[in-house]
Amino acid sequence: MIIFGTLSQFAALIFTLLAMGLLLAGLRRNNIRMVQAGKRGLISAAVATTLASVALGYLFLSDSFQVEYVASYSDRALPLFYKITAFWAGQKGSLLFWAWVLSVFIMMVIYNNRKEADDRSTPYVYLVMAATLGFFLFLLCAISSPFDTLDFLPRDGNGLNPMLQNPGMVFHPPLLFFGYIGFTVPFAYAIAAMITGNTGADWIRKTRAWNVLSWIFLSIGIILGGQWAYVELGWGGYWAWDPVENASFIPWLVSTAFIHTAIIQERRGIMKVWNLVLILLTFTLCIFGTYLVRSGVLQSVHDFGATGLGGYFLFFLAVVLIGGIYLLAESYGEFKTPGSVESYLSRESTFLFNNVILLALAFATLLGTVFPIISEAVTGNKITVGQPFFNQVNTPLFLLLVLLTGICPLIGWRKASIENLRRNFLRPAATALLSGIIMAFSGVREPYALLAFTLSAFVGATIIQEYVTAIRSRKKLTGESSASAALKLLWRMRRRYGGHIVHFGLAMMVVGIAASSAYKLEAQGTLKKGETLAIGDFVLQYENFRVFEKFNRTVYAAKLGVFKDGVRIDEMEAERRNYINAKQPTTEVAIRSTLLQDLYVTMPGIGRGDEITLKVAVNPLLIWIWFGSCLMVLGGILAIIPSRRKLA
Amino acid sequence: MKKSNRKVMVAILIMVIGVGFLIYRGLANTSVYYMTVAELKTSSLGLQLGANQAVRVGGLVIDGSTDYNQRDLVLRFSLKDESNPQLTIDALYKGAKPDAFEPDIEALLEGTYNREQNLFLAETLLVKCPSKYESDLNKKQEETK
Repeated sequence: MIIFGTLSQFAALIFTLLAMGLLLAGLRRNNIRMVQAGKRGLISAAVATTLASVALGYLFLSDSFQVEYVASYSDRALPLFYKITAFWAGQKGSLLFWAWVLSVFIMMVIYNNRKEADDRSTPYVYLVMAATLGFFLFLLCAISSPFDTLDFLPRDGNGLNPMLQNPGMVFHPPLLFFGYIGFTVPFAYAIAAMITGNTGADWIRKTRAWNVLSWIFLSIGIILGGQWAYVELGWGGYWAWDPVENASFIPWLVSTAFIHTAIIQERRGIMKVWNLVLILLTFTLCIFGTYLVRSGVLQSVHDFGATGLGGYFLFFLAVVLIGGIYLLAESYGEFKTPGSVESYLSRESTFLFNNVILLALAFATLLGTVFPIISEAVTGNKITVGQPFFNQVNTPLFLLLVLLTGICPLIGWRKASIENLRRNFLRPAATALLSGIIMAFSGVREPYALLAFTLSAFVGATIIQEYVTAIRSRKKLTGESSASAALKLLWRMRRRYGGHIVHFGLAMMVVGIAASSAYKLEAQGTLKKGETLAIGDFVLQYENFRVFEKFNRTVYAAKLGVFKDGVRIDEMEAERRNYINAKQPTTEVAIRSTLLQDLYVTMPGIGRGDEITLKVAVNPLLIWIWFGSCLMVLGGILAIIPSRRKLA
Repeated sequence: MKKSNRKVMVAILIMVIGVGFLIYRGLANTSVYYMTVAELKTSSLGLQLGANQAVRVGGLVIDGSTDYNQRDLVLRFSLKDESNPQLTIDALYKGAKPDAFEPDIEALLEGTYNREQNLFLAETLLVKCPSKYESDLNKKQEETK
């Protein structure tokens, strides 16, 4: 299997190089058959990459510890499920996984274009994607192969880091990868467009759809990462502005900007250059993020260590950046459109402002992330910024973004009339104001939180108003029932309403983030059996202690009764776990989620006589963050379901 | 340039200036120096540091120096410089000991440094997940020999 995997990897590299050669030659000689052969080469490369991945998966499942990578991230006792996920627990496997996902995306693009006669630009799309795949396969074959063997056979592997043995960790990395890698497709389309000069209606529609697809993956990846941090790390938060988190958030922001301005290009045929810049930027930032993570230049809790791959990624980054800028400069004249945002009271201009803010968020986050490097280069001293910087700078920007999210659908294209504005704004603005006042009177005094709630109410009211109006006019037109009109609208105009659902989800998230960060309660205490700890409306009573073995770990669990108003409403179990192969015990968080608040319990200490130390927090409305993010993802999915008409 | 375009441009310019100001203020208010233990103790910049001035310091947790009070969640340990291990500081962190905290691990503390007592009061404590894998494999190799 080891040899099979290594050979498959090499075969994939050779197929890819061959495909690149054929595509180039085909393009130069205008030879369709060579292009077709190149495509087949890419398909073969994808098959070979898949075989290599299957081989690595098999090595994990069969406990083949002579393979260094398997020995490093698995052991015999590891549950089957996590043996599969150990595939991408480390650097080398992630690279293979990366190559495999990219080859899947290449297949998808080929499939997507199957019915269209290849025009001049599609072969360039394949070529760019092949070059990217070639880069990863080269790293795998020449620098960092997961099939490297040890010169001895260990009796057992080192096991998977206990913190990674969590369901969130199963899907978080692959989805993040799908997102990162998916942006290769819009990037390839952008490069092809700059070479051939074609950015027609079809081009922008396709590019945007691929971008939204990758955006969905990246969003899910980021959210799962946050959820994992929340349920596993035990510090009670979901986002720490860690460099690695930022590395995924920055391209997310830029691709979000593109998704908006792409609509302007679709409707008005303007902003072509700007959109190309955004696509290039998104991809560059994905590669840069990978570089940050893999090179060890920044201090991060995510430890990938200095892996010696940094230089290669930097080189790749330089090629992408210089090539992109060169092509953009070459084709600038072709895509330059006379600037024609007709009024600052138009939807176009709100999209522009939204872009400014998204890019400002991306810039501030990037600057904060790399600030130690910059400051050391400039002043010789490392200066760092942490969470306070990001919160201080990004919070007002984000609130402004929420405001724009509310305003945007209320303003028409081109130029809105004052009358039109007054009619559209009246109800949402009144709703927002009213809810703001009610909340202020019921004790919400934190200015940012109050603002966040008010603005979210505004966004929600806007969307509901727009939906209700549309349902009413459809009913009038067709005589359908309300429910049928509502559903048909949602389905028939799914791109628009998908977008609205994303925004509604965003508003929910903002409420959750604001409430849980401004009104979090914390308490800690040491309890003997029978003793209690009070927090907010809750009283926790320490009822029982037990120790048991499970799979690859010993579990120490304290049972806690949850009381509210003197009534026992629930029970929770906080755990500490000793994994075999791990030196330190790990904390297992217990969470009781309701719509209104999360009760969050960790047990950092167990003393003599089963005395336990508890850290408890109440996080108000935290679950809204997860609900909101689910809505965002669902809205995105709804928006990209292709319509039949276009397929037929 | 059309008049409406100019208006939009002016609005964008104002936003950009606002963002610049936000970032500048954020940097001015929240940035802290990052130093190694050695720099904190011996460099001119480290020596200038005020007793109440926040600073981030990185080093290795000294084996055997850890004293963790599970009842009150107070963690005391000593930190040594990575390249000059004779330079050390004592650290006090009020909070739960992170799961990944163990001897010889690289720790990042943020807080203030009391030079007279050689004591670092840490507000935050970050530890890197141990890159233990290679060394462990090597150990196992020695065992099997």
